[in-house]
Amino acid sequence: MAASVKSLRAQVQAMARDWPQLQPSRGLGARSVIWFGDLKGLSRTFHISIEYGLPIKGRQDLYRVMPVVRVLRPSLTPNWEAEEEAPLPHVYFERPDIRLSPLCLFDPKAGEWDASMLISRTTVGWTIRWLAAYEFWEMTGRWIGGGRHEDAGVEKEPENAA
Amino acid sequence: MNAFLGKPTSQWDSVAEQMLAAVAIKIELPPSMHALLAERKAAIEKHLERDGSPLKGKIRLFYQQGSVAIGATIRAKFRFEGFDIDIIVELTTPGMTPWQALELLYEAMRGEPGSRYYDMTERQTRCVTIHYADEMHLDLSPAELIDEFDPRRSYIHHSKPEEPRSRDRKVLTNSFGFAEVYIATCPVDLPFQQEYARRALRADQGLVAMQKDAESLPVPAHSSVVGGKSAVTVALQLLKRNRNINWATRDGRMPASVMLSCLTLEVAEAGRTIGQNLQIIAQHILHRLLQAKSIGQLIHVENPRCPGDVFTDRWPENQAAQDTMIADMRLFLSQLAVLLDDRRSLPQRRDVLKSMFGESIGDAVMNELEQDYGEAIRTGKHAFGVTGGIAMSPVIAKAKPAVKPSTFFGSKWPRR
Repeated sequence: MAASVKSLRAQVQAMARDWPQLQPSRGLGARSVIWFGDLKGLSRTFHISIEYGLPIKGRQDLYRVMPVVRVLRPSLTPNWEAEEEAPLPHVYFERPDIRLSPLCLFDPKAGEWDASMLISRTTVGWTIRWLAAYEFWEMTGRWIGGGRHEDAGVEKEPENAA
Repeated sequence: MNAFLGKPTSQWDSVAEQMLAAVAIKIELPPSMHALLAERKAAIEKHLERDGSPLKGKIRLFYQQGSVAIGATIRAKFRFEGFDIDIIVELTTPGMTPWQALELLYEAMRGEPGSRYYDMTERQTRCVTIHYADEMHLDLSPAELIDEFDPRRSYIHHSKPEEPRSRDRKVLTNSFGFAEVYIATCPVDLPFQQEYARRALRADQGLVAMQKDAESLPVPAHSSVVGGKSAVTVALQLLKRNRNINWATRDGRMPASVMLSCLTLEVAEAGRTIGQNLQIIAQHILHRLLQAKSIGQLIHVENPRCPGDVFTDRWPENQAAQDTMIADMRLFLSQLAVLLDDRRSLPQRRDVLKSMFGESIGDAVMNELEQDYGEAIRTGKHAFGVTGGIAMSPVIAKAKPAVKPSTFFGSKWPRR
């Protein structure tokens, strides 16, 4: 896989072509980048960040394992009473402010993403889908996006799936 | 990989436009009911012309008027109470009094005891109503053509049985002419019409049942296909629905549908979305009402094809009724602004949709939307807008996902 890892330049160029509203900045660590910009989910526009760094031996930062997407504003709204996925759907919970938790956009164990893939052609689309499903979840407390959880093991289909 | 991922979206990718179209489809006469209406209309016509009928050979024309003639029929009252369909029965019996004309039609329609229509027929002030078990009502108004050379300028008859006959009168009308003007003026946008018709047919459960029953049954004509359904007419249906909701619990008459249709026509233009049409029509109605109020008068709207055919003859009855509608239009415009505002959350927009068009309709529309989007998100079968967003209109949505589907993952909140 190492040979096919996409360079940061390739990632930045692809992002500029596919989603020019996502602007790159130098990341906090070496060989890393953070994009900031607006993405529409279902109807609302969210300001998000995508942090990503090339794998470096001995570094375990999440953003070097996968692109880390956070919703910056409007803030995600936890719903402790939600019928499904309380208090927030499909995130890697991070304290102290769980509203900034990274979104869980793919199953790492299923090999759905690796560093040979373009973030603009995978992560961004998944983020849009996540945001759209989130807008419904915010309204109904039901998660329509499907998925599974680390500790669940079984593919979860929404109750209202066709 | 050379193509940009985001595509320009169509009006059908706007969630607000989808909500508005879905409400309109839920309240309008569905294709299956349209087919049923055509059948019933033909059966009534045959019944009135049967041997032994007092109207045999005395009917010149039998035509739809009102909302059904312009493709804007919506469910009758507050919830799902069926449809009121207006039909003009043009008689060749000059010189009849209103009482005689209405009684003649009533007798001819009712037939002998035991006849199919005997217990379904009711005499009203201006028409004879046929009540069907499925809550469809057909209002037959006897009419008298005034001038052979000015078709269909006519009189309809007003005769309230409990009032003295001296109060009976003939009322000038040319509903046929108005429908002609409406259809000719109301712009039809072909892509809009096609997509709207597709959605209406998909949503028609009655049609699904009919097709199961009889495989050879052709797809019935629908108001969105016959004559073309414009976004203007869809907006008009929604305004009527909002009026029905507002006036359901009020005393007195409500603003006439034909008045709303005429005011709509005054600002009709092609190329607008449903939401844009609603905004422009509601603003125009508000403007006309305020104009009348500013000079101490009641709004006056007349048939553009027939001077003297006044659409505001029974409403507003007084300034108070007019003021009520002014307040309604102001509220409607502020609610519409929330519905069309993409910065608003979905719960806010759902709530406003329900206030505008009714609780049950709003819930049903949102449930359908949830199912459609859920399917698109899980399968990845949709396109993306330039700034994101799930684009599902058939014009750009593709069978092959632009971005492969993924499995949303993550940790569960630890339960203590």
